[in-house]
Amino acid sequence: MKKMTLGAILGLALMSGSALAASAWTGGDDLPTSPLACDGTAGASAAMPYDGGSPTNPPDRKGKKITVVDIPKLIGIGYFNATTKGILDAAAELGNVDAKTDGPTKANIDEQITFIDNYITSGVDGILFAANDPVAIAPVLKKALEKGINVVGYDANATPDARQWFVNQAQFNGIAKAMVDNMAAEIGEEGSFAIVTSTFTTPNQARWIAEMGAYAAACHPKMKWLETVEAQEDNNLSFNQATTLINKYGDELKGIFGMTSVATPASAEAVTQANKCGTIAVVGLATPNAMKPYVEKGCVKSVVLWNPVDLGYAAMHVLRAVADGTLVPGATSVKAGKLGDLQIINGSEILLGAPYVFTKDNIGQFDF
Amino acid sequence: MSSVSAGASRSTLQRFLGGYGQEIVVLLSIVALFIVVGFVNPRFLSDTNINSIFAGNAYIAIAAIGMSMIIIAGHIDVSVGAMIGVIATIAGTLAVAGYPVWIAWSVPILFSIVVSAGTGALVAYTRIPSIVVTLGMLSILKGGLISATDGAWISNMPPEFMIAQMRPFGIPSAVYFMVALTILAALFMRYTDFGRAIYAVGGNMEAARAAGINPERSVIGVFALHGLFTGVAGILFATQLQVIQSTVPPNLELTVITASVIGGVSILGGTGTVIGSTLAAILFACIGSALIFLNVSAYWLRAVLGLLILATVLADMARRRRAQ
Repeated sequence: MKKMTLGAILGLALMSGSALAASAWTGGDDLPTSPLACDGTAGASAAMPYDGGSPTNPPDRKGKKITVVDIPKLIGIGYFNATTKGILDAAAELGNVDAKTDGPTKANIDEQITFIDNYITSGVDGILFAANDPVAIAPVLKKALEKGINVVGYDANATPDARQWFVNQAQFNGIAKAMVDNMAAEIGEEGSFAIVTSTFTTPNQARWIAEMGAYAAACHPKMKWLETVEAQEDNNLSFNQATTLINKYGDELKGIFGMTSVATPASAEAVTQANKCGTIAVVGLATPNAMKPYVEKGCVKSVVLWNPVDLGYAAMHVLRAVADGTLVPGATSVKAGKLGDLQIINGSEILLGAPYVFTKDNIGQFDF
Repeated sequence: MSSVSAGASRSTLQRFLGGYGQEIVVLLSIVALFIVVGFVNPRFLSDTNINSIFAGNAYIAIAAIGMSMIIIAGHIDVSVGAMIGVIATIAGTLAVAGYPVWIAWSVPILFSIVVSAGTGALVAYTRIPSIVVTLGMLSILKGGLISATDGAWISNMPPEFMIAQMRPFGIPSAVYFMVALTILAALFMRYTDFGRAIYAVGGNMEAARAAGINPERSVIGVFALHGLFTGVAGILFATQLQVIQSTVPPNLELTVITASVIGGVSILGGTGTVIGSTLAAILFACIGSALIFLNVSAYWLRAVLGLLILATVLADMARRRRAQ
């Protein structure tokens, strides 16, 4: 009797498990989704009160020349070289900013704190940062605010009250829309596709997949999701999993989504080695350098990410606007030069805009 | 006359089954898996899928040959995954730097042999348990790799370097390596003095010494051989894809050790064959692929492997008890 009870419970547990998995694309999380409109109009974000910090008695900097130091996670890598370029471009355009980038050569939070501390002591008007750790960096940023320095983050946030504003490079629903739209453009509205992700429980990937499922249901309802496979962040496993998907579905499989910067190039490699370039599309999140061979050969048409040059450019403009007093708590948008008006979300974050799609035409300009 | 020969052949068969019991179980499992999954989805049996299964995992089988020798000799090496990552990085770096491909292939293998022999010497002469020494090696290799590469990936390797992507007669080259090295290693273990010495040292070190074997030298030798197999596995691993990740492949050492154990190598040393470990590596590769074909979550792979390990070790213990 005990055994039967146990068997029944086990059976029920297994069945409920499969029912749960069948409700959405596997690999997505259960959090509520907020898919963007199909035509890309900005989603209505719930108004949140300003939750950033504010500098103590800052001097009047309106229109005056200011010195700004940018301290990214680390320097000397392609990604932050690109954000630096954006910062310098914006500074040159503004004409009244003296900007430079400095920072640790390894992504080390202790070294980053030391750098920020030294620049506070030497006296700057503004600090831009991309945090190695959101909590550990907070005290030194608060110290900067107390000295009247304007503090703006980009790429990697700190706890909100330790900085004034944060330029958010991409929201989950924005990435999801770009991924699904590009896949639909490549394989058609009725194409079938599979997903290669890290693990079903990795927070960012799970969020993206959930948002992609919600957006596809609303805007590309006839596209067919086949399955999601896990490949950790392992190159060889990603390749093997993508190859198995290709072998399993044969001609039915028209596209593969790569959810990590490892899975996307490995999936492209699997498609290449299976001689399926042109018949199976790969759309994914990845850095341009890893994807260049496949994009230049024409095997991959769209790589979704954001443009780090634009990210640095926007951060510089935001800092200038804060120093000038034109960006104040409660604002709903901010002007950022050639990028136009950027939307303010989540209280004290500035959304960079729609994600950037790297294609054959532009990927050569990036080195990260 | 006929009854005698029948009796003799039965005992030969029994001896054969006794000697290769685990190998036969693994082989039958592979066959059963192919039949069942092929029945559910015939594409599983397509030549492209079989090629992918073998080519994508041959390096694990080759690393498991060396690991089996190490375990048969009564030791273990938990640094094999990290070593494969280091070998791949060295090979890729040399290839990108423009060295001839034979240098890019052979230097990392030599490095692996020398480092592994050094590990073997430490194990043999200091009598520190091999799991401790190789755990140390694991940290050194892992840390060294990350410091040296700063996390940068290697790409743009010349096409002639990519040996694992070559397909003589339509079969991936990694498969040739796997088959040839398994056969060579099996013959070596069975028919050479050194091969038999490895079994003797793993079975009973003092008895081996009394029989005139130098156990220290045997241990160093078996570690050096293991380094050779790891080296070849590392080169195949490095040349499979267009990029080499600078991180150590996660859990690779566990997969390799598991292949040896499920292939019938006793974790206590002294028994087992390299044929078994190769078959077991193939079995895992098939299970991994079959899970996708059967729409089973990949989480089950770990669980299935765990069950297989427990079953194998229990069977091994039962066999030993019966033998006593």
